[in-house]
Amino acid sequence: MNATIDPRWAWLPYKPSPDAPWDLRKVGHLFRRATFGADYQDLQIALEVGPEKTIDRLLEGDAGGQQKLDAEMKPLADSIARGNNGAQARAWWLYRMLYSPQPLREKLTLFWHNHFATSNAKVNNAGFMLGQYALMRRHALGNFRELLQEMSQDPAMLVWLDTTQSKKGKPNENYARELMELFSLGRDHHYTEKDIREAARAFTGWEIKDGHAFFNAKEHDETDKTVIGKKGNFAGADIVNICLAQKNTPYFIAGKLFRFLISETVSVTPELLEPVAEQFRKDYDFGGLVQTMLRSNLFFSPEAYRTRIKPPVDFALGIVRALEGRIGTIALAQALEDLGQNVFFPPSVKGWDGGQTWLNGQTLLFRQNLALALTSTEDGRFGRRTDPAALVKKYGKTNDGEVVDFFLKLFLQGDVSTDTRSRLVQYMDESRRVSMPVFWAEEDVTNHRTRAVCHLILTLPEFQLD
Amino acid sequence: MFNRRDFLKSSSLVALGSSVPLFLSRTAALAAEAGKPGAKDTILVVVQLTGGNDGLNTVIPFKDPEYAKLRPTLKIPTPQIKKINDDIGLHPSLDGVASLLEDQALCVVQGVGYPNPNQSHFRSMDIWQAASMAEELNEGWIGRALKQVPAAGAFHMAGSNESAPLALTGAPARVPSIASIEDFQLHFAAASGADKKQQRAVIEGAAKSDTSKPGLLDFVQRTASNTYASSQRLQELGKNYQPKSPYPQTPLANRLKLAAQLIDAGLGARIFYVSIDGFDTHANQLSAHANLLSQVSGAMTAFYKDLAARGHKDRILMLTFSEFGRRPYENGSKGTDHGAAAPMLLVGGKVKAGVVGKHPSLTDHQQGNLKFSIDFREVYAAILDGWLGVNSKDVLGAAYKAQPIFKA
Repeated sequence: MNATIDPRWAWLPYKPSPDAPWDLRKVGHLFRRATFGADYQDLQIALEVGPEKTIDRLLEGDAGGQQKLDAEMKPLADSIARGNNGAQARAWWLYRMLYSPQPLREKLTLFWHNHFATSNAKVNNAGFMLGQYALMRRHALGNFRELLQEMSQDPAMLVWLDTTQSKKGKPNENYARELMELFSLGRDHHYTEKDIREAARAFTGWEIKDGHAFFNAKEHDETDKTVIGKKGNFAGADIVNICLAQKNTPYFIAGKLFRFLISETVSVTPELLEPVAEQFRKDYDFGGLVQTMLRSNLFFSPEAYRTRIKPPVDFALGIVRALEGRIGTIALAQALEDLGQNVFFPPSVKGWDGGQTWLNGQTLLFRQNLALALTSTEDGRFGRRTDPAALVKKYGKTNDGEVVDFFLKLFLQGDVSTDTRSRLVQYMDESRRVSMPVFWAEEDVTNHRTRAVCHLILTLPEFQLD
Repeated sequence: MFNRRDFLKSSSLVALGSSVPLFLSRTAALAAEAGKPGAKDTILVVVQLTGGNDGLNTVIPFKDPEYAKLRPTLKIPTPQIKKINDDIGLHPSLDGVASLLEDQALCVVQGVGYPNPNQSHFRSMDIWQAASMAEELNEGWIGRALKQVPAAGAFHMAGSNESAPLALTGAPARVPSIASIEDFQLHFAAASGADKKQQRAVIEGAAKSDTSKPGLLDFVQRTASNTYASSQRLQELGKNYQPKSPYPQTPLANRLKLAAQLIDAGLGARIFYVSIDGFDTHANQLSAHANLLSQVSGAMTAFYKDLAARGHKDRILMLTFSEFGRRPYENGSKGTDHGAAAPMLLVGGKVKAGVVGKHPSLTDHQQGNLKFSIDFREVYAAILDGWLGVNSKDVLGAAYKAQPIFKA
C-alpha cells in the first residue's frame, strides 16, 4: 500500500497547493487528530488562518485559560484524591478533555495513558492516578527520556506493576518485563527472558512513603546485573537508559504515535519511519516528533485521511464539542465504559488495542444509542446535554437542505455520497407528513425533525472514521 | 515490527465475506434444523482466564513434598484440596467444578503448553488464540474452524472494556459481540411509529455497502449491517429467561446465562466465547486467585447444571485456558511471575471423566518453569475433529495427535 510513499516527501512540511488545497476537509482532519473535536467557529477560523498558524496555536495552547481551568478544577481533584473516587476521576479528566484550552496536550496525555496503561482497578488510589495523569500531561509534548525515567518512580506505576513488592533476593519481574516489552523496546526486540530477570533486580528497593516514591537501599539488590549485553551494579534508572539506547526504541514509540496521529491502515515500515525516528533518537524530543508529524505532507495526504476508526472518547466528545454542548461527564464516563474506553481503567497494561477492535456489534449499537442520548430530549442522564435545534437557529439555518448541509459540514465536512444526502433530505421531507403528538407546537415539530436528522447523521458509517 | 501485528489483525477484519452470520440470516424454520436428532449440534464454550492462571494452585500435586517448598506462603493446605485421585486435587474454590466429577462430566488435562513458551501476556495469548507461532497472527483457531462450518452460530459474550478476541477472527462473517439482549438494539427518539420506521430505513440504508472496495468504510458498513440484522433476530427472542438452576451474581455467570438463553432459543448457536480477567497475580495472590477460581467454578457449574436440566448435557463442552501458567516458586511479593505449562479444565457430558496427562515435574524445570507434556493444539485437534466435526489439520496447519479427552 505504501510502496508509493517516499519517506523524504512524507515528512516535509505540507504546503497548500492547487492539488492539495487547504480546505474544510483538511481542517476537520487536523482537529479530529490533534484535539477532541471542533465546533463550527473553530473550523471557520482555521480555514482562514491556514495550516501553519493553526498548528502553532494547537502546539502553544492557551496557557492563561488553562491556568484558570486548573485552578477551578483543583478543589475537585483534591476531593477525588481524599475520597479515593475513581469514578469521579474519570469524569474529571473527561471534563478537561472537553474544555481544556490546550486540547493537543490533553489528547497526547491520553496517548501516554494508553502507552503506560495503568488501571485504577488495581492501583485503587485515585490520587495516585491523578498524579500519574499530571506526570504524563507535564511531559505530553516534552521529553520521552524524562517521562520514562519519572514513570519508573511514579506511585501509581509502582503499585500497578508491583515494583513496591520487589525486594532484594526476591525480585518481582512485572515492571522490568513491561518496561521492555511495552514501554520502550517493543516485544521480542533484542531482549531475553534472562534480561528481564536481571533487570528486575535493578528495580528492587522502591517503596511508597507518605504517598511518594521512596528508595529503600536496604531492599535494593547491589550485585552486578547483566542486561542486554551491559554489565554493572545497575539501578532502575540505568536500566531505563539501557532501554533508551536500543536501536528499536525510537522506532517503537514513533510507530505508536504514527498510528495515533496519522493512520491505522498505512503499513508503518522502518524505512518510512527512519527520518523521524532517527531524529527522535538524538534527544527523545517527543514534542518535536509530534510537531513534525502534524505538519507533514503525509499527515495531510489521502493516505492519512479517514484511515482510523474513531476511538470512543473521540466519538463522544466530538459530538458534544461540535454541538457546543455542556454535559455531565459522570454519566459520559459510564457510557464510555460501555463503548470500550474506560479512562483510568484500561483493560490491561497493553492499553486499548484500538483500530477496528473498537467496533463490534455491541459497541456499535452503544455508539448509535449514545449519539441519540446526546442529541435527543428523552434521556436525562447527561443533564443539559446539547441542543442541535438551538444550534441551527444560532447559525441561521432554516430550510431542510440548509439544516442537513450544516450538520454534514460540521460533522463530516461533506464526506458522504449524494445518495446519503438525499436520503437525509428525504427523511426531513417525509417527517413533515407523519403524525406528530397533538400537543406539540409547530416549533416542537421543527426541533424534533432537526434533532432526529442530526442523530441520523451521527449514525452514518462515515462518522465512525477518524 | 512496530504495530504491524495489530495492523494485520485489523486488515483481516477488513476482508470479510458475507456480512450477516448465516445462522442469524436464516429463517427460524431453517435454524431449527440444527436441533433435530442426527444433526451436528454440539456446543463449545471457551472460557478464557486472562492474565496467566496459576496452574500449580489450580490442579495441585498435594502428595509431592516439593509443592510446599515452592509455595511457602501460597500453598493450599492438603485437607482443603478437592481430591481428584491419590496424587492431585483441585483448589478449594473449584468445589463446584470438582463435584461434576460425580456426574462423570469433568476432565483435567495436565501440563498443557507449547515449545519455546513465550512469557509475554500478549504474544502468548495470541499464540493460544491463533493456535500458531507464526510471527504475524491475524486469524483465530475458531475463526478458521467456522470457515468449515459456516452455519454454526458463534457469539462473543462481551464484558465491558473488552474487544472481540483474535480467536474468533477470520470467520466467514464477523462473530457478533453481545453484552445483553436488551442492549443489543437500536434506540430511537421518534414522534410516531411511522417516524421510527423512516429513521430506521435511513440508518439501515446507510449501512449497506455500495462499494466492492475493501477499506475502513466498507468494514464499518459490514459491521453495521451485520449488527442491525442480528439485532432484529435477537429481539424476537423473549427477554425473560428462566434458568433451571441458579446462577451466581457475577459478570462471568451473567455471560454464561446469556449463552444458555441463546442455546435455548434454538438459533443454531454452537460456539460461545467468554473471558475473565485478573489472573496476573504477581503479588498477594492467595485471596485474589481464590476469588477468581470461585467465579469460574460457580459460573461453569451453574451453566452445566442449567443445560443438563434441559437435556443438553451431552451437547456441551466447556474448556478453560490461559495464556500461560505461573512460575512454580513464588516470588517475594506473595505472588508468582509468568510461567509456562498449566492445566486445562474440560466440562461436559461427553468428556472423559478424570485426568489426562501427567502433572509436570516440580523439580525438572525449563528456565525455572514447568515443562509441558501436552501441546495445546493436541487438545484443539481433539475438539475440532471429535466435537465440531472440522478437519483439524486445515485449521491447525499440521496434523496433531488428538488427546483422548472424550469418553470412549
